[in-house]
Parts: sequence; C-alpha cells; structure tokens
Amino acid sequence: MNPLVEVKNLKAGYGNKVILKDVSMLVQPKEIRVVLGGSGCGKSTLLKNIIGLEIPQEGEINILGQRVRWGEEQLASEFMQKIGVLFQNSALLTSLTVGENVGLPIRIHHPQLPQSVIEEIVLSKLGRVGLAHAFDLMPNELSGGMRKRAGLARAIATDPQLLFCDEPSAGLDPVSSQALDELLMELRDSLSISIVIVTHELDSIRTLCDRLTFLSGGYVVFDGTLQEAEAQGPQEVRNFLSRKAEEDQSKASNVQFNLED
Amino acid sequence: MKSQDSEILPERLSPQWLTENMPKFEKQVKASNLNLDCSQLQHLDSLALGCISSLHKTAQSHGHQLKLQGLKRDLQPELAKVVSEKENKTIVNPSLFEVAGEGLVKLWSELRSVLFLLSESIYWSTWGLRKRKTILKGETVKQMILLGSNALPIVALLSFLVGLTLAIQSGLQLSRFGASIYLASGIGISMVTEIGPLMTAIILAGRSGASITAEISTMVVQEELGALHTMAINPLHFLVLPRFWAMSITLPLLTICAAVAGIVAGWAVGVLMFDLSTTIFFKTLIEAVTVDLIYKSIFKSLIFAWIISLIAISKGLQVRGGADAVGRATTSCVVSCIFIIILADAGFSFLFYT
Repeated sequence: MNPLVEVKNLKAGYGNKVILKDVSMLVQPKEIRVVLGGSGCGKSTLLKNIIGLEIPQEGEINILGQRVRWGEEQLASEFMQKIGVLFQNSALLTSLTVGENVGLPIRIHHPQLPQSVIEEIVLSKLGRVGLAHAFDLMPNELSGGMRKRAGLARAIATDPQLLFCDEPSAGLDPVSSQALDELLMELRDSLSISIVIVTHELDSIRTLCDRLTFLSGGYVVFDGTLQEAEAQGPQEVRNFLSRKAEEDQSKASNVQFNLED
Repeated sequence: MKSQDSEILPERLSPQWLTENMPKFEKQVKASNLNLDCSQLQHLDSLALGCISSLHKTAQSHGHQLKLQGLKRDLQPELAKVVSEKENKTIVNPSLFEVAGEGLVKLWSELRSVLFLLSESIYWSTWGLRKRKTILKGETVKQMILLGSNALPIVALLSFLVGLTLAIQSGLQLSRFGASIYLASGIGISMVTEIGPLMTAIILAGRSGASITAEISTMVVQEELGALHTMAINPLHFLVLPRFWAMSITLPLLTICAAVAGIVAGWAVGVLMFDLSTTIFFKTLIEAVTVDLIYKSIFKSLIFAWIISLIAISKGLQVRGGADAVGRATTSCVVSCIFIIILADAGFSFLFYT
C-alpha cells in the first residue's frame, strides 16, 4: 500500500529558529497516526508544515502520492480539497452560522450546486457528528465539545481522504473527550480515511492510536505502535508515557477525592 | 534597627514595614554597599523576594553590592532563582538609531503589504476578473450594504450640517460686500471638490475602516484564516476583494450624496437667510460646478476608498497576539487612514488646482 502522507527529511521552523531538524514520517491508508512529544518539540509545527500553513525550510512532503508545493496556488488548492483539518479551537468563522460554516467549502468549490442540495449535504454531515439541530446556531452559542464536533463536520464536508486534528480533546471534559475519540474512530471506519492527530491525552492515545510518532529535539525518536513504545521504546518515550499515566491517575484520584468530599 | 552597619530584616516583611524602610534602603544602596541581616527572616514570601530583588538591581546599577547575612540555608535556592531570572531578563534600552531603524523597517513592511494588496486587488479586478475565485456569491453586495449604505444617514447628516455652517459663515461675509449670490458657487465648489470627498472618507475610515480591521484581525487571532487556507479558500479572494470592491463602489456614491446634502443646506441658507431665489442659486451653482470638477471629485473618492480598504485589511492581516492587538490595530488603522487621506488630499489639490 502506498502511504497517503510521506514526510521526508523535513527541516522547519520560524525565521532563523529551527524547530524540526530532520523529521520523516509515513501515514498509511485507514491509519490513525498520533504525533506525540513534549511541549515545544514541534508537533504543531510538523502539522502546520504538512497542511501548508508554514512552508518547510528543507525536505519533502508527499500527499496522496504527489509532492506538495504550497507555493503553487492551483496545486495547493487541489490538495486542500482532499484533506480536512480540525483546529484546536475549531476555528469556526464566527460571522457565519454552524450550517454556513460546514457548507462553506462546498459553496466555494461547487458554486453550481443548488442551495437545497448543499443544505442536505450539510445536514448529513452535521447529523454524523450529532449536531443536526445546530444548523442555524451561531458558533458562540455552542459548547466547547459542540464547537469541536461542528469543526469536525466542516473538516469532512468535502469528503477528504485525510483528516488532520490538532489537539482534538484539548479543553474538553473526559466524557466529551471520549465521545469525540469514538466519533473519530467511527469516521475512520465508515469513511475509510486516514487521521493524523496531535495530542497529549493518554486516554485518547490509547483509544485511537494505530501508530505513534514521538518527536524530541527536532528529530523522530520513536515510530511504532503504542505497545512497542511501552515495551521497547527509548527510555525518553517510556518515561513520557509513564509520567503521563501517573499524571492522569493523580487527576483521577483528585476527582475521586472531590467527589467523596 | 541598625547593628554593625547591617540593616536587620524582621521575621516576616509586612507591607507597612516595607513602606517605612524601603526608601531608606534604596537611598543607602545607591550611595554605598548595603548589608542586610537576614538571620531573623523566616519567610521568603513575595514581599521579601520583591524587596531583595529590587535592592539587588539598584545596587548593581550603581556599582554597589547588596550583602545578605545569615540567610537561612533553605531560603537560599528560592532567592537565587528569582535574582538570576531577573538578571537574565535585563532589558538593554535600544539606541536612537536602533529605534529609528526599527521604525523604518516596520513602515517598509506595512507599505509593502499595502502595495501587495493593491497590486493583487487591481489584478483580480481587471485581468483576473474572469478567473475562478474562491469568493461567496453575493458577498460584495453584503459588504456594500454593511460598509457603505448603512453609513448613508450619518454621512448625509454630517455633510448637511457642515454645509449649513459653511453657508452661514461665508454668506455673512459675502453679504457685507453685496455678493451673496456667490454663496451658491462657493458652497458648490467646496462641497464637490473638498468637503464632500474628505468628510465622507474620514467618516468611512472611522466607521468602515475600523470595522474591517477589527473583523479581519479577530479572524487572524482566532485562526480563522488558517481554517480558510485549509479549505482551499484564498483569503485574498474571500476577504479582500469583496471589501475592496464594496468600498470602491460605495465611497464615490456616498461622496456624491454628501456633496448634494451640503449643497441643499447651502441652498436652504441662501433662500431663507440671504433672500436668494432658487433659480438664481442653481443657475450660479451649475455654472461654477463643472463636469470636470465632478470627475476629479469622484476620482479622489475612489483613491480614498482604496486607501481605506487596503490599509484596514493590511492592518487586520498583520495582527499578532490577542484581544489587545486587535484594539491597537483598529486604532492604528483609523489614525493611518485619516493621515494618509489628508496627505493624499493635499497632493490632489496641488496636482489638480495649481
């Protein structure tokens, strides 16, 4: 199987500051790839370079078998229509309703479609994420979890083959976070898409991860499954995963304490 | 308080103690080395840390030393951390040349951004007009209503009032020489060539320019532009072109409305206060206000529209930071727009009428 995303020897950063020194990564079809690492290790930078929000300093990015050149507008536009992105803060356009937000990429790229057809597509996408009732609501009328799901509906509006998610569980309560993870799994299975997720949440990683890429010091220090990482990964990766587990346990005990109180 | 040239710190520093003693310590450390006896100090809370850190900095800047005697061993690491962090954060004041250079670089960057937007907007409004654009149907009309039509009442009212004031003042002077009839030509020429375009542009800079900057900069801060990019929507098409076109169409139309409102005010003053007949007023007006003047006025207002829309969009797109940056960008947009409009108006006066 040909990989859907192929990152080769990527060097990236901001101005003179180099964040990613030499990063390579593959994403296979129908795979959920989790990008993990400490704060400031360049996870978001990697994501931004793959989706074209930043231009790589060196290296090569291939998406769906073709080399991406974000500087070439026409080519970039074609790629963009094949990918969906869920931003950390959802990035819904606050001046548009939820329905208009989800329908925006369809209205722009298929202006010949009748409004009634676009509305039906939007309703089906919103229905998938359990937000059909929110069609006419404004983004600021939604809760954090609902905004994430609306962002997800917009990300899958043009039936992408690849979905990128930046910290999807950030700022959500455990129940909403679990629901979103299950939704992502369901979308992967029903739409046969690949998903790249940048996250810190160990619960999410355990639910979602097929393979993980661990970044540190601008390099990939581990690439494999979660089980491999925990069993035979570098000490740094095992420490990271176990520390996160301890943190999560302490959080859980705090919650328990509060409840008992 | 004093023991062997050392100032003794109490067990815990209270705000009152600091208020009483800090000025004295600062005076001492500016003049010579200062010894603080910390043997009684039990708590290194925020007040104590702030006091010691501040005295340490003052001593350093005056080439003196602050000596801490008898500080308990368990309090030392915390203090060392605060002091070293403070030292690392020492800011070197830039020289005048550096400030001027930085200002020039910033100005060039803003100018380049506006010129880029201008060239792109002109390209997509002319040669690229038939090319595919990622733009929502009806967006330009929506912007015309938001930025232009909704401003009509305030533009018309203010222009009417300015015309009224101008007519009264100039009519009183002209009537002293029996030349009230020239009120019509005076009001007509000033409203069409200067006050109409300038007033409208300044009102729209404050109203619509600020609104464009606030809207776009909020979108930048909330990553909405990134979202547009990932949906293969070109922000230049989606955000810039509808606003550029809307301003280019509505500002000249509003300028005509403003000139008409001012002239109506002048006519009312002429007829009611200076006994001019309506026929003579408009005959004199038509003779004075030539088609050439109207064309020049419309051309001026078109350039003002470009100035407002491009500066407002550029300021919005350049925002980095949070809510305060949005506020700063909006203020900066209004100030820059008004300044450039008045500068351009002076240039047009020189070009057209000298």
